[in-house]
Amino acid sequence: MNVSSLPPNSGGQPSGSARHRDASSGREAEAAHLVELMTLCSRGHEEAFAELYDLTSQRIYGVVLRVLRSPDHAAEVTQEVYVEVWRQSARYSSGKGSVTAWMTTMAHRRAVDRVRSVSSEMARDERYAFHNGDREIDEVWDGVEQRLDIERVRKGMASLTAIQREALTLAYFGGYTQSQVAQLLKLPLGTVKTRIRDGLIGLRDALGVEA
Amino acid sequence: MSEIHGAVGAYVVNALDPDELEEFEAHLAVCPTCSREVVEFGETAAELSLLASVATPPASLRGSILSAIAEVRPLPPEPPAETTQTEPSPGGTLTIAADLRHAADELALRRQRRRTRALSLLVAAVVVAAVALGGVVYTLVQARQTQVAQQAAETELLTAPDVQTYSATMKDGGQISFVVSRSLNRALFIGKDLPAVGSDRTYQLWTLEGERAIPDNLVAGGGDRQEFFRETLSGVTSLAVSIEPAGGAQQPTPAAIQTVTQLSS
Repeated sequence: MNVSSLPPNSGGQPSGSARHRDASSGREAEAAHLVELMTLCSRGHEEAFAELYDLTSQRIYGVVLRVLRSPDHAAEVTQEVYVEVWRQSARYSSGKGSVTAWMTTMAHRRAVDRVRSVSSEMARDERYAFHNGDREIDEVWDGVEQRLDIERVRKGMASLTAIQREALTLAYFGGYTQSQVAQLLKLPLGTVKTRIRDGLIGLRDALGVEA
Repeated sequence: MSEIHGAVGAYVVNALDPDELEEFEAHLAVCPTCSREVVEFGETAAELSLLASVATPPASLRGSILSAIAEVRPLPPEPPAETTQTEPSPGGTLTIAADLRHAADELALRRQRRRTRALSLLVAAVVVAAVALGGVVYTLVQARQTQVAQQAAETELLTAPDVQTYSATMKDGGQISFVVSRSLNRALFIGKDLPAVGSDRTYQLWTLEGERAIPDNLVAGGGDRQEFFRETLSGVTSLAVSIEPAGGAQQPTPAAIQTVTQLSS
């Protein structure tokens, strides 16, 4: 791609200041900005896409890497996700949720699909989980930066029951199916299903996320 | 409120097992409450993902992605729901509206496609021409103009500037084609009148990276079939089909390999 064709006043710049936010009004402004960027992407503006990448890549790559564990796979899947975001940009609408949620959902689904389609990966992960059942939970907590947003989520997770938190963590970050989670936690499938849903409800309420 | 409704949480975190996923997606299409919850929980899950955003992507990834999108054309907007109804799809398989997840990611569309469905006229046309002629399918793209909107993935693939069709006769006599686009990084398997393989066996698709075979989607024998490859084409040198025990295999059974088609790079 011809990066030099970017207009001098847009795109390309590191997103530190744009990413910085310390109040919900800041989050709303950023959410609105992401919608604008998505609209520009749908019209083929590559510089808007570059900015979208800068604003979201840490989160998207982070969740993909967390599920896949392999940086090589994570880079590959992250690339697939962004190409898909670009292709589908005209198909995004606010009725489908925020841009962040739309992209994160896509990224998580692809990561999980990759885990389940690569058999050796899966075998490795299951071995890992059976021998390190508790580390799965701890790693998430240990690596957390004390940024404000992360702190909010951390507190939200802490407000859940242990089972809700574990079920949600294994499903979301571990990429396990609910039956695998049930096996790992030695709980009935129905219980796991309920705990995952209750966990999301609890987290949603704790975060005050609006639909 | 039905029991399936309780699966919405597991659905949002992609933890449903395949059977229940199908069941839930069917339910989702008709349940506004669940659709709303999917959006709502999607926001919550996105917040949860923040806990993983401590990793910094490799610096090279940015350039790689920006180069990649420069070669990809964004899809046009979806037509408004009313107009999609005015002209029924010839294949009878067109369902655009309702399914939020569908719209959120066409991966869902691929999942849905795993269910056996009637071939659309468009794809049927491709099969005939591809099996008969092989080669590039530009001319078929013109036929598309007379069709109503087809499922996005197929249309995109068939209209990709670099689309190529590879045709082959399998060991068991079945006529198949692979429709491949490197720029979209996708491949579609098309089988015309596939021989039946019995209920305890299945066709299985494979992507090959040199000597390494990666298991892909399963395709039932008997009749006309189409199936997208699950894997992308990065690093893929060949596509293959084998006949395996029902449920598929992790490695192709050597004697049961039906065809190996090398792709141009």
